[in-house]
Amino acid sequence: MAVPAFLLFAVFFLYPLSQGIWMSLTDWDGISRANFIGLRNFFDFFKDSRAIADIKNTLIFALGSAPLLNLVGLGYALLMNGKFKGKGIARVMIYLPAIISPLIMGYIWYMLLQPDRGFVFHALDLIGKSSLLGNWLGDYTACMVVLVLVNVWQYAGMTMVIYLAGLQSIPDELYESAKIDGAGFWDSFRYVTMPMLLPSIRINVVTNIIGSLAVFDIVMALTDGGPGYATETLSIYIMRMCYGSKTGYSTAVAIIMFFIILIPVMISMRLTREKE
Amino acid sequence: MNSAVNFMKHLAIILICAVCLIPFYILLILSLNKPQRIFYQGNLFVPDFYFQNFIDAWQKSHIGTAIVNSAVITVESLAIILIFGAMAAFTIARFDYKFNKFVFWLFMSCMMIPGIINTVPLYALMIRLNAINTLWGMSLVCATIALPSSVFIFTGFVKSLPREIEEAAIIDGCSWFRVFWKITFPLLKPSVAAVIILNGFGIWNNYAQAVFFLQDTKKHNIPQALSVYFQQFAGAHWNLMAATAVIAVIPVIVAFLIFQKSLMKGLTAGAVKG
Amino acid sequence: MKKLLAVLLSAALLGGTFSGCATSVSPSASSQPQGAASSEAGSQSDSGGKVTLKLFTGKIETIDVMNEIINDFNSSQDKITVEQEYQKDASNIIKIKFASGEVPDIMTTYEQGYVDEGKYLDLSDQTDWWSRLSAAMKADCTDVKTGKQYRVCTNMTMAGFFYNKDIFSELGLKQATTWEEFEKNLETIKQKKPGVTPWFIFGKEAWHLGHLIEFIPHGYIKQTLGTVGARKAMLDNDKEKLNFGAADGPMAVFAKDLLDLKDKGLINSDVLTATSDNCVQDFVTGKAAMFSNGMWVLSSLTDADPNIVSKIGFAPYPSYMPKSKSVILSAEDSGYSISATTKHKAEAIEFLNYLFKPENQKKYSEAAGAPSAFTDVQADWAPALLANEVTTALKSAANIDFTNEKPAGFSGDDAGRMVQDLLGGKYTPETFATAYEKAWNDGMK
Repeated sequence: MAVPAFLLFAVFFLYPLSQGIWMSLTDWDGISRANFIGLRNFFDFFKDSRAIADIKNTLIFALGSAPLLNLVGLGYALLMNGKFKGKGIARVMIYLPAIISPLIMGYIWYMLLQPDRGFVFHALDLIGKSSLLGNWLGDYTACMVVLVLVNVWQYAGMTMVIYLAGLQSIPDELYESAKIDGAGFWDSFRYVTMPMLLPSIRINVVTNIIGSLAVFDIVMALTDGGPGYATETLSIYIMRMCYGSKTGYSTAVAIIMFFIILIPVMISMRLTREKE
Repeated sequence: MNSAVNFMKHLAIILICAVCLIPFYILLILSLNKPQRIFYQGNLFVPDFYFQNFIDAWQKSHIGTAIVNSAVITVESLAIILIFGAMAAFTIARFDYKFNKFVFWLFMSCMMIPGIINTVPLYALMIRLNAINTLWGMSLVCATIALPSSVFIFTGFVKSLPREIEEAAIIDGCSWFRVFWKITFPLLKPSVAAVIILNGFGIWNNYAQAVFFLQDTKKHNIPQALSVYFQQFAGAHWNLMAATAVIAVIPVIVAFLIFQKSLMKGLTAGAVKG
Repeated sequence: MKKLLAVLLSAALLGGTFSGCATSVSPSASSQPQGAASSEAGSQSDSGGKVTLKLFTGKIETIDVMNEIINDFNSSQDKITVEQEYQKDASNIIKIKFASGEVPDIMTTYEQGYVDEGKYLDLSDQTDWWSRLSAAMKADCTDVKTGKQYRVCTNMTMAGFFYNKDIFSELGLKQATTWEEFEKNLETIKQKKPGVTPWFIFGKEAWHLGHLIEFIPHGYIKQTLGTVGARKAMLDNDKEKLNFGAADGPMAVFAKDLLDLKDKGLINSDVLTATSDNCVQDFVTGKAAMFSNGMWVLSSLTDADPNIVSKIGFAPYPSYMPKSKSVILSAEDSGYSISATTKHKAEAIEFLNYLFKPENQKKYSEAAGAPSAFTDVQADWAPALLANEVTTALKSAANIDFTNEKPAGFSGDDAGRMVQDLLGGKYTPETFATAYEKAWNDGMK
């Protein structure tokens, strides 16, 4: 019964993919005839300083984004796990950003953060503190921080929901017996909550690694990879190469990117499994 | 002591919610400002309550058609994902064949392949299938993209279900196919909500594929319609753009409110055990 | 048993997929110029014998007027139906269309690479069109390599400095012809009007910075080598003539001048985050004295403030290199090409005949806010005051056009992102020039 799913996948993914892989071995520019050039595209990639810088950008984004998303999501989940009035509404609000199209999100965040003009600037201006808002989107270091934070803001709700589900599947008896054994808050967190959360941690870590390393929408919407190439990530590079008359090369980069994502995913799956 | 902690906790929650809501609030303010007002001119927090924007936005953009299109695409793709995904997950979870393992790992690794690699061949394929500018074609593409992650979720869930009932039914002479539809599928309900929420909004907001496969204005989905509309005004009518965005966001929020309770149940019941 | 069958079936299918890739639609097969049966999915005849023409456009400002003209055309006869498709990223999306064989019958995108591949229909024999087009525009539509025409440009567009005439007359400033005068003007504005940005650059948008390169350093090359000479130098990548990398070459001097203005505070401090919307807002509210842009910005300006028209002045780019003149862009715009593989050549030409009728071109020109390229079309494309302003500016400076001969792998946006890096302090003028030369050469490959 896996066949219908497999068939659909084979037709709309594997079949085009196989041609895509073929393309990565050619010098096709999207216009003229393609010539088979073997693995030259793959070698060229590592000689391209812009590509190397983009790998760095992508890794920095992922190293900031994936752990932060997990920490913030877990923090939210711990906060929201208790019983209090308006719990349902609060959860909805926190999840809300995740369901909005990045297209709209980009416009709004730009209007919020733009130096000298945005909403935050005007709001701070009201209390005479407008100097607090730096030129973050135009600064070569700060713009990456902004991207990470906006990404965390948008998807922390998603991470939270999965952690919440994990928290709620932990039976209360475990906490009670830990209490009887004299465990404090930290002990029960360390010896009860964390091990029981492992499945949620695994899902979150893996999806956040994939999502962060493949980040595209939010960067395009907010900084367009700029200023200069400061926030250009690998997926943007692939897109620009694909349309910039290096179509064959861009598919080769996509295959390289697959391995860049695969390695940390495999490692984190291993790590979370061994402790299980 | 305890009440102080409680107070801090509540304060933190209120702050977090506020941070999450700020952009929506700004969108709403802009959508209610008169056209003459430039951004935050005058005051920041109180809009003009100019509801004409919504009427204009509705009439000038094709957002109404786009909402219907997005809804059709989302429902169709989700139906495919749920049925095919659940069937595949059931097989993978219950039968330890090499092919099943292969399919599972294939799906997992394809989650990590950047979609752009497929663009040109997929476009050529869609033309040969006469699927350009059709909602069904778009639905199939969206379903394919979301299939791996839903198989992942469903497989985890099926594994957490007891095998005994199914085995009893087999002994009674039921085929595996009937067992799946009569016994297992109804039990999957909780994780269905999870799959819907985790994939549905992505499909609703799909832009990367829509650009290629939905070219006709009558077939535009929401992001396509919005981006054309935003472009056409080139920033000169922020109030109308904001109003259109608000209209586009409302159905998503309503859908989320409907599904959010079952999402929590579904995730707790199975997904995170995978 | 059933399972085994399924496995075998799928294995067979999978095998088919992979072996299929080598033979069927490999990129080389799909990019063959003609002949393949699937190469023209773009146009089909429906059962009634009616022909459907697909028209692909990236021109947002003409969507509505084109729909109007298309509707008139569709109802004026019963053989042809024209369908318009607009895409924001038209120049990217057309590549996917060409690559997969789904080529629209008529399109507004035009690229040298496709000319070289023979993707456009030769329109040289359409003498009715060319006799109506101004000589300069016909020259702009002509492919340098073959001397033939593969597109018809219906309009002209101009780019230069928009400036606030009120501020200029209040401070007694005149249009600058040299960079020294230009810088002096900016300094006067900064001193006398502290709240006003002398030159507003909206550098968030890479295309705008790319245009500055296109108009100022490339403008210098085009002006000194002449239109045809510059095109040839760029096509052949004649390094001596282009001289991009030299420390006293057009790139380094441009970079130095721009950094100078930045250091002196003569451009907006938020140059890296400002958008064209910001620019329009600041200009109509008197907070920006001048900015560089093309005529296409006009409708945004008048949308933001209908009274702005009387204040708009239009000036050429001052000369910034020794022995050069000030330049202004006067280029072809809104080009229409026909696919070389269309099955409906006659119908496509019939539609273009209709579109090019003087009364339709008048409408079109006025909607696009650009003067018509046809000599027999008298359109009020802009308020008379501004149109005069533009005509005067065109006469006062060397007219240049867009560079279509740029390397395929180095777009205007790429150049713009290099200017962002320059403004962000990543380059000195000298390293900027060498980096530009390297990017240009790499893009040629």
